[in-house]
Amino acid sequence: MKLPFAKAAGLALLMAAAHGAASAEWTRTWAIEWYEPAHYYGAETGIIDPGTDCPKGTNPEPDWIGVLKKAGYTEQEALWLRDPSHPYRVPNHGQNQMAFRGEGRANVYVHPELAADPGMQGVTGTIGEGLDLDGDKTNGFVSVDGKTTGIDNQFYRTMGCWKYFRGPPRLSYNAESRNDEMREGRWTVLIVASGEGDDPMNDDKVRVGFYDSTDKLVKDGNGDIATGYTFRIQPHARFEAILEAKTVDGVIVSTSPTKEIWLRDPSYARELQLLQAQLQLTMKDDGSLSGILAGYRPWKRLYQGMVEARGSVIEQLTWAELPGVWNALKRGADYSPDGANGEKTHISFALKIDAVRAYVMTPDASRKVSGVRSYKSEAPPMGPSLHAFFSNRFRVTDGLVPDSDGVILAGPDAPILPPTVTGAELRARLKASAKGAD
Amino acid sequence: MTGAPVFRSRRSWGANKVRLDMRRRLLGVLCAGLFGCASPSVETTADVGAGLASQASAGAGAGERPDAAPDASYAPYQDKTAFNAAYRRLTESQYRNVIADMFADAVQINARFEPEMREDGLQAIGNRRLSITTSGLEQYYSVARSIAEQVVTNKARDALIGCGADPEAQAAADCATAFIKGRGQQLFRRPLSAPEIEGFVAVWDKARTETGDFDTGVQHALVAMLMSPDFLFRVEAAEPDPAKPGAHRFDAYTIASRLSFVLWDGPPDAALLRAAANGELHDEEGLAAEVERMLASPKLERGVRAFFTDMMQFEAFDTLTKDSLTYPKFSQAVADSAREETLRFLVDHLVARDRDYREVFTSRDTFLNRTLAAVYDVPYASAEPWSRHTFDKDSERSGVLTQVTFLSLFSHPGSSSPTVRGVRLHDIFLCVATPDPPPDVDFSKVQALENGTVRARLIDHMSNTGCSTCHMISDPAGLALEHFDGLGQYRLLENGEVIDVSASIGGQTFSGAQGLGDYLSGHPLVPACLVRKVHAYSVGRTTATDEYALLAKQQEAFAGAGYRMKALYRTILTHPNFLTVRPPEGVPAGPGTTHADTSTRPAASGGGQ
Repeated sequence: MKLPFAKAAGLALLMAAAHGAASAEWTRTWAIEWYEPAHYYGAETGIIDPGTDCPKGTNPEPDWIGVLKKAGYTEQEALWLRDPSHPYRVPNHGQNQMAFRGEGRANVYVHPELAADPGMQGVTGTIGEGLDLDGDKTNGFVSVDGKTTGIDNQFYRTMGCWKYFRGPPRLSYNAESRNDEMREGRWTVLIVASGEGDDPMNDDKVRVGFYDSTDKLVKDGNGDIATGYTFRIQPHARFEAILEAKTVDGVIVSTSPTKEIWLRDPSYARELQLLQAQLQLTMKDDGSLSGILAGYRPWKRLYQGMVEARGSVIEQLTWAELPGVWNALKRGADYSPDGANGEKTHISFALKIDAVRAYVMTPDASRKVSGVRSYKSEAPPMGPSLHAFFSNRFRVTDGLVPDSDGVILAGPDAPILPPTVTGAELRARLKASAKGAD
Repeated sequence: MTGAPVFRSRRSWGANKVRLDMRRRLLGVLCAGLFGCASPSVETTADVGAGLASQASAGAGAGERPDAAPDASYAPYQDKTAFNAAYRRLTESQYRNVIADMFADAVQINARFEPEMREDGLQAIGNRRLSITTSGLEQYYSVARSIAEQVVTNKARDALIGCGADPEAQAAADCATAFIKGRGQQLFRRPLSAPEIEGFVAVWDKARTETGDFDTGVQHALVAMLMSPDFLFRVEAAEPDPAKPGAHRFDAYTIASRLSFVLWDGPPDAALLRAAANGELHDEEGLAAEVERMLASPKLERGVRAFFTDMMQFEAFDTLTKDSLTYPKFSQAVADSAREETLRFLVDHLVARDRDYREVFTSRDTFLNRTLAAVYDVPYASAEPWSRHTFDKDSERSGVLTQVTFLSLFSHPGSSSPTVRGVRLHDIFLCVATPDPPPDVDFSKVQALENGTVRARLIDHMSNTGCSTCHMISDPAGLALEHFDGLGQYRLLENGEVIDVSASIGGQTFSGAQGLGDYLSGHPLVPACLVRKVHAYSVGRTTATDEYALLAKQQEAFAGAGYRMKALYRTILTHPNFLTVRPPEGVPAGPGTTHADTSTRPAASGGGQ
């Protein structure tokens, strides 16, 4: 017997009720299974192809030999520094020396302002994802469906053509690498929504909380994050966010901006501060949750995260000069919070979130959470910040990594060329290598 | 002594001959592996081999029965009518438990063991037919060497061996002898005979002499003991029964081993060996006292786990697979957790809480971890790795049949199977076997998973009259479980259609898993089947026709005790039937000695369906 849709839906509701769904006060809970900067990919194919967002495609890799020569290195020195296969090469030498290409060979990672701005092509398209943070419908992007205007996402406009962030959903370098970390168990972010009305789908008084958990995400047999797992809230002195909202036809939308929230960040910054935060999250029929969390983030902290992840490696993997990134973010910044004296210290930003249905328990695991509240008072004192933790883990100082003996074989006055290898030999080696690659 | 024929003083008969050959082979391999017995230059080694052989046979030399004291040497078979009634290869868990009881955490066993053989519903019956293959022998040898190496290199080496690493000559011999006697008794579950001790000491002495290292000698002696058939097999020795001239009884150490492997899935402890040595196990009161002591021991959990692992055919977990697209939540962690859940539940229900066995089909209590909670789709309300959980009434969960174990083990990789579930339910819990399907069955209709519900597909399938007879018996119970998919997850719809979980068996109509649980909890075959399986598990053979009446009485006793598992053990293990020797075919039985009966199983008494 085939059931009419209405009957089947009714049964599904019955089933949901049988498994502990709505009452007069409701609470729904999820675990974030993927989140990444909301960057609309305007191409129909590939991951770096030209598209409406970036008509020339993803920004190309810089000519690193040219970059070094522009910074005052000889061609021979540049070739030597860019030859990773050279048998006499000290592993960290070439990468660390890449930092010293500012004025007077200053470290451009630490002092990007002392390097010439190489420029960075941003998004020229009009379509974008995010939320209207400033209430001005006349600025910003238009939503993909064309129904919403005024979307504020200067971060996308500035960084959207950079390989680090550009790509179809879940395929950009940043999104893949950081979410892989999370999905392998490095951290977990929980979402709790609760309301006071009878109908979770339409409720004027809703609160949404984002919490930390030390319980790991679990992958299912297909590599996706499994639904229905249980997570305990881990009170954290910083990583907690509570936003006021309402639901309209199953969509949770902010009723007013929250002044400041903190989340674990799926980027090298590790920590995400959002000012004037707002959200728009859809509760889906399958129990999952998808949508946007947006606000203004401090752009210098994001830049610093890349330096701490080892500046030269980031540059080479993501095809950008970090001074260009620094200058682009500075140009694109669009928010000056109280106390910043008008300086645009923050940039509008949106995070695209996908979360799976999960059971969220109180910190002692004794019961399911039944509402959104702060657990900060139960949190242990803050340890070192995450960026400090990761920086120490990679032993990065000023974007540089010392050798195992603690020495940094690089600097403004460091000898570049080894005495036994000539530029001609290097060139010949590089040519042979290129032929081999053909 | 030269390579004297092994077991030369034993009576040779057909059923045992293969095993005797195997034992000779095993000893030969061991001898060659350790010392190169084939070499003419190792005359002493030949003596060692002979010593090993004689320790295994233990029949050539005269001696006293070792009933005086537990550390007396063992000398069975001085009576020419003595014989070995059975050899049962140690199961993997039994092997591990013997080693664990001896060396605790000092020794880890990382190895694969040869598969067991299931016969008449139990591996405990099948393993009396098991030998050791060549590759199995290699595995045992590898494990033995690993164990011996861990013992001599352990931080607690001195305590494990009994003396320091470099004792004086006489002290060394004394220490080695004490080690061999003590550890040998633990391994063989009886004191070693004088020739056995002599043989293993000779192994130690030769290795120590050749290498100049005391510990190397200990290693070799321990390997030799670990490779002995008297360790690898549970040898059930029969001796003349002094109370019944011409009849036989199990010797006291065999009774001790029988008790300990049933109740503890491991070797007898010192107290039990002492009771054996003192003759208490041949005394009704003494036996009952030991059974009581063993039932009160924490080790009882091991025995109950081993029994239900066997009864519920958990070896199927070793090959369990699920289609990841259909059941993405399935993983090895889920399989391991499910097995543990069921065992924890059974131990808690039947041992810790000493509850009615029939409630295992109706209880909503269980134990979960975080992994299983996700499969059951319930919150995991504990910070501990495992915690007790009671399902909501509307969960439709009802005892062991609705746990992930049964529901996933007895399903197909990509779908549930009312038929498989029904067949296994009858086999495991009702002792009713279902014949295999005929070879030419067309399964196409029932395997069209995209069409409607499985009930409708089975009805189509049963239009084949050759199939309908069995399906009429097996399927109703399985259909009642259809609110649980092939992984055990709750569902109400299949292919968008409502799943009908009504069932009718033997004129009784019920609905769903809870209805099935209620039906089974009141079914007389359920406790009767458990009695039969515990009995067969305990005696290690199929129930004989002349035991049907006894089983009926034991079923009555089980009912009278409120269907308590401990009471059932008490009834079976203290009954003279448990001690009755049933010699293999070909061995003449004396009065009071019953021949093994390999006839087909009896129908469990107490009603049918």
